Amino acid sequence: MKLGSFKYLAGEGVKSAWVNRLMTLASIGVLVACMVIIGLAILVSENVNKAIGNLEQQNVVMAYMKDYNWALYGEDSGNSASSQTADSDSSQQETASVEENVASDETASDETAESTEEADENGIRPGDYVIHNEQEARALCDEIAKLPNVAEVTYVSSEEGLESVKESMLEGQEEYFTFLDEEYGNPMSCAAKIRMEDMSLFDETIKEIEKFDGIDAIQSQDDLAETINAIKNGIGVAGVWIIAILMIISLVIVSNTIRVTMYNRKLDISIMKAVGATDAFVRIPFVVEGVIIGLISAVIAEGILYFCYRVATETIISTLQTTDVVRYSEMALLLFLVFVGIGIFAGVLGSVIMISKYLRREGSEFAAI
Amino acid sequence: MEQQFIDSEILKPQTPIIEFRGVSKTYPGGTHALEDVNIKINKGEFVFVVGSSGAGKSTFMKLIMREEKANTGIIRVNGFNLTEMKRKYVPMLRRTMGIVFQDFRLIPTMNVFQNVAFAMYVVGATGRDVRREVSKALSKVGLGNKARSMPNQLSGGEQQRVGLARALVNSPDLIIADEPTGNVDPNMSYEIVNMLTEINKQGTTVLMVTHDHNLVRDFHHRVIMLDGGKIVADNAGGDL
Repeated sequence: MKLGSFKYLAGEGVKSAWVNRLMTLASIGVLVACMVIIGLAILVSENVNKAIGNLEQQNVVMAYMKDYNWALYGEDSGNSASSQTADSDSSQQETASVEENVASDETASDETAESTEEADENGIRPGDYVIHNEQEARALCDEIAKLPNVAEVTYVSSEEGLESVKESMLEGQEEYFTFLDEEYGNPMSCAAKIRMEDMSLFDETIKEIEKFDGIDAIQSQDDLAETINAIKNGIGVAGVWIIAILMIISLVIVSNTIRVTMYNRKLDISIMKAVGATDAFVRIPFVVEGVIIGLISAVIAEGILYFCYRVATETIISTLQTTDVVRYSEMALLLFLVFVGIGIFAGVLGSVIMISKYLRREGSEFAAI
Repeated sequence: MEQQFIDSEILKPQTPIIEFRGVSKTYPGGTHALEDVNIKINKGEFVFVVGSSGAGKSTFMKLIMREEKANTGIIRVNGFNLTEMKRKYVPMLRRTMGIVFQDFRLIPTMNVFQNVAFAMYVVGATGRDVRREVSKALSKVGLGNKARSMPNQLSGGEQQRVGLARALVNSPDLIIADEPTGNVDPNMSYEIVNMLTEINKQGTTVLMVTHDHNLVRDFHHRVIMLDGGKIVADNAGGDL
């Protein structure tokens, strides 16, 4: 098609939108409403995602290591504070059970060598535990950090761990840990504080961390991870449904306007067909009209949403004393593109569906208009 | 355009521009509009199609325009085999013909020039070509000075002349006029048929449906008479 013809047809589309301005305005009104609701759904979803992101940041996992304190106090090690006073026979047996828990990749000869090492005053030998010093603990942290879904790993020494536990205790409970510390020494093992990237991969990542020999136990908030994932999935599904339903409404609205225009232009269409216009040629003015409706709606929807969102966020910020909301400027381009996309989609598809249905019905060229 | 729809035989001189072979058309309700119609109209002929209401005239015209499809038989028009032709080629067929309607079919929001130019825009013409050809067509029908008038400012005869100019503007090989004098006064009817006769003399085939026996009698052209969906008379001399 020549550019001149297209200009002529585009002009016809603009003219048609103006001639049917009441219908055009009604369609724009409904389309704007649909777009604003879609925009709100996107903004709410973004804000919830941001809030969840903050929760995810706080949802850390503590991986406690098999260090000296673990060998001394850990339940798995078989040693306990009271075991320090146990006779040598029972100590021998307990040591054997500790040996079963140490790194599996050690060779049989190593094990033999370790079993001959001398026990300290607590009856613990170097072979009874895996992490012997801070350097090894930090090296393990580095290994964990290499896992795919791990965003950040921080080394937490046993002293820091004890302080942290004391801080989180209720009044009175804290004293028990202080007593333990003073009487028997710090009961806490050193740990890796781990933050994950994607909470939906929580279980898989935990399994990977557990595979490390130096890791004894993992403390996490599984329920929080599950809740976060459930909220995320729920928002995703609801968003898709809202957008799909409103897209269909938009399509129906634009189709209806185009249908009215089409019946208003029956005479033009019959003449066009009689003189040899192709179906594509007949369609163009209607498609242009549909796109005009869509684009005007997109611009108006962007303006209304900007105003509404600004008022809403200002109220939220002043009421909740938080600045933790998504800024409109961050989303403005995306929303405008979404609106333009919806407008063009509804305009083109709505008009093409309607006019094609009409054009398929042959026999209108000679029939009385 | 695919060559399979062009009948090479029909493009030779002295060969029919319209040919019906054993054509029948029955509408879905069971109405037999045409039955076993056989006819040939040669290039350059002027043919009146007459008959009472329900005789099958409109169906005959619709089949030529491929607005309807025949149930049986073969139809060839302007080198197109309408029996085999796919729907997407209908616009190409129609670009070879000009159509004049009984009710003029002028777009009321366009002036005379725009109404005629519309037929050229539809087939992809633009700019200077449109201005030149529209002016020429309007001069041919004697409306060169009414280019800026709106349809409602014109008489019935003038409106039909605009319709005629629109049919002529793309220089078609065939003009199909569906009762072009049905809504104009008798004097204007003669003027319109005179114009069609002039156009015909320049080589364009004209097929005109009419109820006006005076016109048929006074203009000595070939007459095809339809009755009950059949051709009951076909006279090349004009005397029935």
